Amino acid sequence: MKILGISAHYHDSAAALVIDGVPVCAVQEERLSRRKNDAGFPLAAIEWCLDHAGLEPADLDAVVFYERSMLKFERILTSALRAFPRSWKSFPHAIKNSLGEKVWVRGIIASHLGVPRRKILFTDHHASHAAAAFLTAPTRRAAILTADGVGEWATLTVGHGERHTHRRDGLTDITLQREVRFPHSLGLLYSTFTAYLGFAVNEGEYKVMGLAAYGRPTMVAQVRRLIRRTPDGAFALAPEYFEYQTTAGRSYSSRFVDLFGPPRHAYDPIDLETDEGRRFADCAASVQQVLEDTLVDITCALHRDTGLSDLCFGGGVALNGVANARILAESGFERVFVPSAPGDAGCALGAALYADRMYFKNPDREIPDHPFWGPTVNAGELAKAAREDGQTVEDLDETALIDRIAAELAGGRIVGWMDGASEFGPRPLGHRCILAAPHSREMRDRLNRDIKDREEFRPFAPVTPLETVDRYFELPPGGARLARFMSGVFPVRPEWREKLAAITHVDGTARVQALERQMAPRLHALLESYGRRSGMPVLLNTSFNVAGEPIVNRALEGYSTFRRCGIDALVAGTTLVTKHAAAARPLTEGVA
Amino acid sequence: MPVLPGAPVDWMLRPVHRWIWGDHDRRVRKLLTFGEVETDGGRDILRAAEMTPDPLLRRLYLEHAIDELRHGDMFRRRGAALLQARPAAAAGFFGGSPLPGGHGLEDLAIDGEPDRRLLAFLHVAEKAAAGRFKIYREVVDDDPPTRAIFEEILRDEVFHMNYTYTQLTRISPRSYRWQVWRARATRLWKRYLGVATALAGVIGATILTIMYFVLLPPFAWLAKRGADREAPGWNPIAGNRRDSSKSQY
Repeated sequence: MKILGISAHYHDSAAALVIDGVPVCAVQEERLSRRKNDAGFPLAAIEWCLDHAGLEPADLDAVVFYERSMLKFERILTSALRAFPRSWKSFPHAIKNSLGEKVWVRGIIASHLGVPRRKILFTDHHASHAAAAFLTAPTRRAAILTADGVGEWATLTVGHGERHTHRRDGLTDITLQREVRFPHSLGLLYSTFTAYLGFAVNEGEYKVMGLAAYGRPTMVAQVRRLIRRTPDGAFALAPEYFEYQTTAGRSYSSRFVDLFGPPRHAYDPIDLETDEGRRFADCAASVQQVLEDTLVDITCALHRDTGLSDLCFGGGVALNGVANARILAESGFERVFVPSAPGDAGCALGAALYADRMYFKNPDREIPDHPFWGPTVNAGELAKAAREDGQTVEDLDETALIDRIAAELAGGRIVGWMDGASEFGPRPLGHRCILAAPHSREMRDRLNRDIKDREEFRPFAPVTPLETVDRYFELPPGGARLARFMSGVFPVRPEWREKLAAITHVDGTARVQALERQMAPRLHALLESYGRRSGMPVLLNTSFNVAGEPIVNRALEGYSTFRRCGIDALVAGTTLVTKHAAAARPLTEGVA
Repeated sequence: MPVLPGAPVDWMLRPVHRWIWGDHDRRVRKLLTFGEVETDGGRDILRAAEMTPDPLLRRLYLEHAIDELRHGDMFRRRGAALLQARPAAAAGFFGGSPLPGGHGLEDLAIDGEPDRRLLAFLHVAEKAAAGRFKIYREVVDDDPPTRAIFEEILRDEVFHMNYTYTQLTRISPRSYRWQVWRARATRLWKRYLGVATALAGVIGATILTIMYFVLLPPFAWLAKRGADREAPGWNPIAGNRRDSSKSQY
């Protein structure tokens, strides 16, 4: 059975293809359109998925959209009505936005793909998150938690999933039992602070998490005035502090500003030496603590209710690695599974898997435990372009290449690394990475200055083989699983912090990836080779992109990034390109 | 190729440009908007560099993209510096839409476009931008750092204008004039579409606002009553919801 899953129209659209119950490919539209967080209908992603599998749209048995668009429209309309007359400014925008395209999803899919309308199915937004988290995790029974800004009405759900592998029919069950509904939302609470701190909503939330480590949670009492716990163990936001339910322009109200002080403007630098900078860091630390406390309470209750040892966590809130680590440490769950794409992009895969297991009642199938579902890099394309530009290109055998790259890294050079199929999700998990030595603060500053052009307070992540992760990082039991897809933030062991200064955050932690050899064998080999040279098989690993751009996908995108920033060497397959000063000279008017 | 003094319409609008740039807040907003537009344009041209099969064009596009990204950065930094010089003016300042105008590549479609069309489009856009930036340079006489930015960018624009034209004549020696005219016509058509869309947006918003106040009050009353009955906290999820595969509700 061939099922195409689609997520679109809010942020980070994507497509995924499931054949006979197993994912075949999945890709975010931004990786192909080259527009970061592209929310448009993912036509390029769909075409790539179909081409990759050698299918025509007519071959599909079903196309599944990741949410119920009319139910979402009902929420938007109802929210506008409830806010009458304060919503008069946002109403025309909301209606035009929804009626322009978003509610006509069935027709849009049918017209783009030419599939019969009866083949187009829908799932609940949070059911897609739940399926993406549970069905891709190597567990038979697990509690499920999903949390994001908002789907249709739900903002957070809890339930459980079970694979009946012992039964002859091999059916799967995903049951979401309870939900918290809009406007009460942990994701929107965090996003409101993201906007207040001058970062882009749906993009800058991880900056708030990074900034939080520089602050003290001195404003927890104020944050708790925004969010109160309900007697049944859930939570409710105080609407007077928020405006996202009434206007499109601003998510926090004047009362919010009265409580926390003037907001930061996006163009103001954050200077942590000033009172103002420290106030913003304290704000971030306070909302981070409240988010963590709330999630820990909810997951403790979920553990008590279900008695299960595993938790699958999906939704954009699951990208908060600090909260994930606390859930693992304090909730009672022994293992926490967060998929590589817990946000809305991952819903494309979740929706397809949900339809396969729940609508079509197909038996459960084991799903490969890796994130590499995207397009494959073409080393020949890189070699051709680099040679045409007069760069130094070498084709090396595997062992020589690994040794050479390890030597380059040990020599303080920065390497762009492309290998095989691209990752599905926002993390660099071994196939599209910028790698560097993790030992000095100078390297961190160089990366920030010459390549990433980003705020000083943001940390870089390390990658290390699974076999050695405990030597350098304090992982609790089950921590290695969370670290598989860089989903947890854990302490760097104190004795290593100075020697791992480029990846140790100000609070002594790091969002480490514990790399299993089978998942990315070439990067694993590189880590071992680097370890033999430096004594520490740990590398700094950051996503292969520059500020404001999606992670690179094709070899040529890696090459153009390499050409215009401070990356010293570029690898695709066994092709190595090193920067040649003469070739990189600027062109002059004489060329024209 | 010399920089044209700007389109006639821009020269006629010089008092408007002077009025816009004469105010601190509007100047900041313009600069920050330019920052975004130049950066977006730079990314589009970067895409062209990644797509073209022509090695020389790839190098030229890449240099062009780097220039545009640098221009975006220069505008952003200057805007931010002016903003910091008078932060009080920033309060409530970015609530509305940015002023129209500026220079940009206006939804430049890269994928699937042949190089001759891209070059013609870039040439026309760069030429228009160079003319307009020349006017801007004159109207910010009182602000040497901003003027210096326009001067530097103008030099780059001349290079961009020249290389796009030279390369267009190279890859399309027989039809380059037609390509340029076609790009001009497309640009004009896009401008018309932009104005028409904006006008339709205003009309649509007006009708919806009237509907909001005339038709919605009784429904709003009902919706508010419904909200009062909803208790915050956990809500049970109906079991049958997960089986409904065809419904968008």
